[in-house]
Amino acid sequence: MTTTKKFHYEPGEHEAEKASNSYLMSLIAFIAGLPLPIVNLIATLIFYLGNRKGTYFVRWHCTQALLSQLSMLFVNSFGFWWTVSILFTDEMMSSNYIAYLFTALIFNLIEFIATIHTAIQTRKGIHVEWWFYGSLTNLICKA
Amino acid sequence: MVVLWKSNQFNLQSVIMKKSILQGIATIVLFFATWFALMQIDWISVFKVQKVKDKTEEKLGDLFWEVIQKNEVENKNPFIVKSIDSIVSALCVANDIDRDFIKVHVFTKDDVNAFAVPNGHLIIYSGLIQSADNPEELTGVIGHEMAHIQLNHVMKKLVKEVGLSALITMTTGNRGSEILKETTKKLSSSAFDRNFEKEADIQAVDYLIKANVNPAPFADFLYKLAQNESQASEYLTWISTHPDSKERSEYILKYSKGKAKKFKSIIAPRTWEKIIDELDKQ
Repeated sequence: MTTTKKFHYEPGEHEAEKASNSYLMSLIAFIAGLPLPIVNLIATLIFYLGNRKGTYFVRWHCTQALLSQLSMLFVNSFGFWWTVSILFTDEMMSSNYIAYLFTALIFNLIEFIATIHTAIQTRKGIHVEWWFYGSLTNLICKA
Repeated sequence: MVVLWKSNQFNLQSVIMKKSILQGIATIVLFFATWFALMQIDWISVFKVQKVKDKTEEKLGDLFWEVIQKNEVENKNPFIVKSIDSIVSALCVANDIDRDFIKVHVFTKDDVNAFAVPNGHLIIYSGLIQSADNPEELTGVIGHEMAHIQLNHVMKKLVKEVGLSALITMTTGNRGSEILKETTKKLSSSAFDRNFEKEADIQAVDYLIKANVNPAPFADFLYKLAQNESQASEYLTWISTHPDSKERSEYILKYSKGKAKKFKSIIAPRTWEKIIDELDKQ
């Protein structure tokens, strides 16, 4: 899920703190945004926009945090609207719906744990690349 | 030297690109595979969702039934009740429907109306019976309401119009009698979704054919009420809650075409006459 790699340079204390904050931001927003998945994305996006002119290490981790939130937005939004349709329309609760909720829960949990782990590691200045999001960030984020 | 560096950079980029595409696809596949694997479990049984649903429907049915009983006069004439019961029983037997679930009640009221209440309560007003020209017409209406019950339209309508949370609140004690009254009114005097009506009509035709009852009089009944509709009778509730009656009678006839077989009436003409006489007396 995550791999620890050596970054191009040794990030300073200030950079490590900012990079770690981008994950913390998504964690806090994750809790606040549980009922409304878009909240996570907006919070991470604001943090990303605020740091897009930061150092490479900070930018890189802000981008990775943002990308991970973006894909979870689709997963959670679908679950959210499905729930709304069950509560307020004639859509019925089905085994498929419950299976989807469990799948979304598993993926959210993995992301949650990975976020905590990455926030701790980056705070120490250790560079952590996520499965898929890491290579995607490498493509988007230029030194 | 610069060219070599640029070419190396390009190669590195395409490797990363390939890697992220593959990893992206793998993640999506993993997501759907997990969902698919979890779909194989019957969660509805695991969490006893159906049991909770049935209990909610049962409780709601009892609550609505209480309100209706308080505000209307039930016709307990044994001859009428038995005769109507025999129509329901015949439809149930021919269509493998749980007879015990359907609870028919006749109410003395001039309104031309019949409606279904959660937990299998089927309410028929005497006005509707009296406005039918023959037992087949009444059987058609009963079949239509039974279809609403069997297709779970009643609960779907309530969830759509009142909301699941409000329904659960009603059943968990904190129920406002006003909301309950309003919701009961909705059940008896507001229309189902157009698709639900069509679905119930078609299902009713199937019920009738399986029970060897001619569905044409059911279409005639709708057509007849649609004609009377223009006279704007205040009693024609069933027709005002079941719009587009002409169109409905047409598609009922169209659907039942070619399905003709030897039809018979569930109740004899003499019994029918006696039902009408008894109702006229009251």
